[in-house]
Amino acid sequence: MRFDRIFQKKPGSKTRNKTGNKTGGFGYAVLMLLCAMCTALSGCGGSQEEEISMGRYADREVKLPGAGYEYMHPCADGGYYLFGNGVDLTHVAADGTVSREKWDWEKNANIHVKFSYGVSDDGAVIFGYTPMFYSDEEYEAYAAEGDNRYLYYYVSEDGDRQPLNLYGADYKKATNLERFAFAPDGRVYAASGSCVYRINVESGETESLFATGEQVREFAFVGDTMLAVDKEKAYLYDMAGEKPLSDNTVLNEFVASHQNGRIALAVGEQTAEEIQEGGSEVLYLACRTGLYRYVWGGSVIEQIADGQMTALGDSQYNPYALQILPDGEFRVYFSGNYMAELYYDKTLPMKPSKELAVYSLRENGRVRYAGRLFQKEHPDVLVRYETGMDGDNAVSREDALKNLNTRILAGEVPDVIILDDMDMEQYADKGVLRELDALLAPYEEEGVLYQNIVEGMRMTEEEKIYGVPMTVELPLYYGEKKYVGDMKGLDELAAGAEFARAEHPEGPLIDTPYQSNLFDLMIPLCLPAWTKEDGSPDTESLTAFYQAAQRLWELDSAGMSEEQRRKWQQDVADLSNIMFVQYEDIYNIGETWIALGYMKNAWYGMTNLHTRMENYRNGYSTYKTLEDEVVYGRLTGQAGNVYRARTIVGLCEQAKEPELGETFMELLLSDTMMQKWWLEGHFDGGLPIRKDSLVSLLDFNNRAFAEVKGWTKQEIDVVYKEMFWPTEEERQWLFDRMEESDCYYRKGTFLEETVREVGVRVLDGELTPEEGAKEVERKTAIAMEE
Amino acid sequence: MGNRLTAPAWISRGYGRWRKKKMAWLAAAVCVLSAALICAPLLMIPGGSLMDGTEMKRILSPILGEGQGFAVWHLIPLYPTIDHFYRLLIESPAFYRLFWNTVGMTAAILLGQLVVGLPSAWAFAAFRFRGRDFLFGLYVVLMLLPFQVMLLPQYIVLQELHLYNHPAAVILPAVFSTFPVFIMYRGFTQIDAEILEAARLDGAGELQIFFYIGLPLGRMGIQAAMVLSFLEYWNLVEQPMAFLEEKAAWPLSLYLPQITIEQAGFAFAVAVMALIPALFVFALGQDALEEGIAYIGVKS
Amino acid sequence: MFLLPGLSGVMIFYLFPFFEVVRRSFFQSGNGAFVGVDNYRAVFANGAFVLAVRNTLLYMAAGVPLLMGISLFLSLLLRNLLQRRRLVSAMLLPMAVPAAVMVLTMQILIDRQGVINGVLTHVSEKITALPAFSAIDYLNTEWALVVVICSFLWKNTGYMVILWLAGLAALPKEVEEAAQVDGANRWQSWHYIIRPGLSGSFFTIGMLSVLQIFKSYREVWMVAGSYPQERIYFLQHLLQNWYLKLEFDRMAALTVTLSLVLLAVCLLLQKKLG
Repeated sequence: MRFDRIFQKKPGSKTRNKTGNKTGGFGYAVLMLLCAMCTALSGCGGSQEEEISMGRYADREVKLPGAGYEYMHPCADGGYYLFGNGVDLTHVAADGTVSREKWDWEKNANIHVKFSYGVSDDGAVIFGYTPMFYSDEEYEAYAAEGDNRYLYYYVSEDGDRQPLNLYGADYKKATNLERFAFAPDGRVYAASGSCVYRINVESGETESLFATGEQVREFAFVGDTMLAVDKEKAYLYDMAGEKPLSDNTVLNEFVASHQNGRIALAVGEQTAEEIQEGGSEVLYLACRTGLYRYVWGGSVIEQIADGQMTALGDSQYNPYALQILPDGEFRVYFSGNYMAELYYDKTLPMKPSKELAVYSLRENGRVRYAGRLFQKEHPDVLVRYETGMDGDNAVSREDALKNLNTRILAGEVPDVIILDDMDMEQYADKGVLRELDALLAPYEEEGVLYQNIVEGMRMTEEEKIYGVPMTVELPLYYGEKKYVGDMKGLDELAAGAEFARAEHPEGPLIDTPYQSNLFDLMIPLCLPAWTKEDGSPDTESLTAFYQAAQRLWELDSAGMSEEQRRKWQQDVADLSNIMFVQYEDIYNIGETWIALGYMKNAWYGMTNLHTRMENYRNGYSTYKTLEDEVVYGRLTGQAGNVYRARTIVGLCEQAKEPELGETFMELLLSDTMMQKWWLEGHFDGGLPIRKDSLVSLLDFNNRAFAEVKGWTKQEIDVVYKEMFWPTEEERQWLFDRMEESDCYYRKGTFLEETVREVGVRVLDGELTPEEGAKEVERKTAIAMEE
Repeated sequence: MGNRLTAPAWISRGYGRWRKKKMAWLAAAVCVLSAALICAPLLMIPGGSLMDGTEMKRILSPILGEGQGFAVWHLIPLYPTIDHFYRLLIESPAFYRLFWNTVGMTAAILLGQLVVGLPSAWAFAAFRFRGRDFLFGLYVVLMLLPFQVMLLPQYIVLQELHLYNHPAAVILPAVFSTFPVFIMYRGFTQIDAEILEAARLDGAGELQIFFYIGLPLGRMGIQAAMVLSFLEYWNLVEQPMAFLEEKAAWPLSLYLPQITIEQAGFAFAVAVMALIPALFVFALGQDALEEGIAYIGVKS
Repeated sequence: MFLLPGLSGVMIFYLFPFFEVVRRSFFQSGNGAFVGVDNYRAVFANGAFVLAVRNTLLYMAAGVPLLMGISLFLSLLLRNLLQRRRLVSAMLLPMAVPAAVMVLTMQILIDRQGVINGVLTHVSEKITALPAFSAIDYLNTEWALVVVICSFLWKNTGYMVILWLAGLAALPKEVEEAAQVDGANRWQSWHYIIRPGLSGSFFTIGMLSVLQIFKSYREVWMVAGSYPQERIYFLQHLLQNWYLKLEFDRMAALTVTLSLVLLAVCLLLQKKLG
């Protein structure tokens, strides 16, 4: 180094002294630093005793008089209007009486889907919709001025209806107005994605008032000022003077910092003191983080209710409308057809003293719902529900698990953990999970749960249970007797498929447009049989699996060309995007001769197995009429009676609130939760493992059935649809199937991923089944080694 | 330095010059070719960002979907669309927020690294103290360690300091990273020792030496460190993912989810937008480097 | 005292955590029991560890010299070019691309049904003289390592070129020019003048290449998953998988070992190359 030469010993040099002493100074400095660091790190935290202040807002649910609403308009007297696509205008008065306007629109007005709404205090309605056409010429005429554009209708308070043809100098026909509002003075305002307009409902003349950056979602009227709020800021407009006003920075800041979700607005009155001080109106804002109060013209927006402890914070709902009720109560209408009233409860502590930490890898609606129920029952607890990934950004499953593991290793263990898509056995091995045997003992004694399912979750090595599923899904088959007969196992399935193929040479056989569908179906049936005792994969059974899969895939593909299959895949993918589909264009979607799938709910029973076989369009009712020819049964593969577990609940060791965690688990396993979630309209997700819940859910006699809607080109007066409730026998059949399910399919293991990956190559013909099995063995060898 | 010519030198000089020119052209060709080779795969990106969903599906389904046949790539899309850019720049307010997050974060990190790392590098280069080699070696090792092993302990430290979920949780550790120290050190060691000694004999203080001699002469190392640090932190992924829970504070690199066929065009558009600032920084950095080189040449 | 602020930060954010890692390497992950060197023994006996080390060393042995050589060669050529600024910017571009997009690009090229296979198949069909070409699934065969190394070179060449250029620029030009006038040819000027002057740069760039090898893990993981083909299963895969299995004790032991090795190598090289 060049510097060596400088710093050789030179007697009497000042330089040398400076640098020569450095070592000593260096060490001293390090010591000092360490001390400083230690004091800093240990100095954090000091607890004080605080007085618990009482009083906060809680919420109670309000039952809506029906389903399918999307819009609510509050009336000054405490009642409100409800409206939506597919429902009529409903008025609920302050005392609760419900009145409906019967509108029989569709036939006359060709209304297909309503998208935007506005209701006035007197019951006038304006809405935008997309039309339906029965002839090509009509459609051409419409599309010429803009495809997918809305048409508008106005219904006055007296019930007079007229279509609205909006026109204006600055208004293009193709603009879609997504939001309407009736001002107190009777004028109608509307917002498109970029502009706010005023509409003259008599003539249809539309005048643009001011431009907005994004779609304005909420209007509010404060005296002569109109307030329009989009995602970025709040716009103010003077309705009397007909000009925009300057920005209100307080409101703008609020809007900009609450971009997650909608903000509902309501204008209310002052308290006596504020009127004395010369204030004007008060604006209330409801959003995910809570309920806020803003004195108009002031500089502060005050929070009066915390979102986390009320329904406002529930992330599955968005606040759409806010109504101010007397006595300091509020009514909030949410998306998802949910409404709640917020009231001030003095008996509740202002801030909850305890916190329950719940973790799941992906969002689980059931758990979130249970969290809110739990919070209601235990007002001094805040339930903090965290999800590892929301799928919308770069966080992958591994990254989310790494973050979770970091927290666990650092000692921050959640109280309750939902083990879906996680490796329960690993976490149990490392001592993260608590044994649940003791907690489950009372359930066993009373025979409340399907004990065989619970036993299926027992880990073989340790002989303890670490997780309990809330629901399970059962694999079933369904088809003509001659094909599926009394099928047990993959070989018989393949044989039946061959027979079916021989009789029907064209078209799909089983409803698997993609290879991954086939794997989704077959893997759970066979996976448990693939691991030998020492944990290594069993190549023989893997080979057999691949052989069966190959056979099925070839049979399926024999009935269509590659082009057709690709089109089928395309149609299936598009089906989720197309609202209105012309049946002939879709290549045999769901036409299958052997229906295989998982029974995910008790209401639809067989029909969720996509069994639209030719001539057998409607699964269950069809079955009834063809009882001799069509049979159904439990689908088995290489493993025994497999079930797919969903929402697996586990508790963690060394959690901060173990008793709360246990109570939460009890809530999840209670009849309320098992049933309530379903009754809220969430039909997917499996059959509950509580015996009594399953029985109640299958008790159709006490329930109203939803309407079925359809369109047809023909002139028809009446459409008959035969519905059959399951008989006692059939119910018992289901209960028996639940009783016999004892084999737990572990989802998301590395073995499964590998089998799928290699499986794609086997099905493509690149590898033979034996080679495929060897490849799987090779790949998992490394995983075993680690 | 005089020109010393030997007898037939004028011939060899002429020939040599022609040969030199040919060599120069060859050299240039090789360089251009390499640059082209390196850039070639990147040419997919602007093309891809202009492709609409249908075309993308047709092209990519053999790979990402379950199509048959081979994927083909059109450099120039058959049906170009600016849909993706529209969606990104106009319909996604989140993009701007994240973009400025990234800019802010990177700027803060680079600034911090200058303030903290620069003196450290100078200290290693200019002074000699016991344990210097060992400490420097330690610095290098810390630089090399993959982030994953430090994830847990750094998490603990950040929690103790109450920095978790704050941008500082990503910025502060990055500021103290030993990487820039390493590069700047290299730049400083290339300074002639005599200059320093002369300055010292003239009675200059250490601080003055640092500011008036070290900084200008070590500029190349500093600039190289800045450009390379920029590259590293512009696309930083792991630290923000682990330490920043607040999604509003995330940098741009975390914006893209797992890329499926539908998202591919959009992802390419994001890449284009991410590349533009980088190009800008390269231009700046290169200019500065050029200056530095010229400066040193002149000085000698 | 120039060092102090930097050093204090380094201590807090890097050394202190590192000591924590060292500490944890002597304890068991699940229940915190003290196990002494058991973790180290477990690590060394682990088959996956052996495989990972072998692969990583192979990757480094091939990747680092290739990268350094190619980038040095290019920088020597670029040294005298006037337009080098643009070329170097072009070479640096791969580093600025977000990882997800780079991965997608790689997939498009090297997938079994990707562009490269498509082109080669097409060519071999057209030119009947060549033997038939069947599509190679690059990532699932021995080619995987080649792919990884190529992508490593592709991404990092520009990075190293910049550093070499900076190092070369610091060499006094007069000595070189004098030597050339004296009749020294390229090889001699390289061997006696340039190379010794670059020895410091060798160390820097060598270390940075190793750093880049470690950093390239994320792209490899995004393309090939947590358990890729045998040849490209690197140390970091092992570390990440252990992390996912909550086996931090082994991770810690491996880290400490790795650090000691790196420290030794680094100190050694420092002495040699200065």
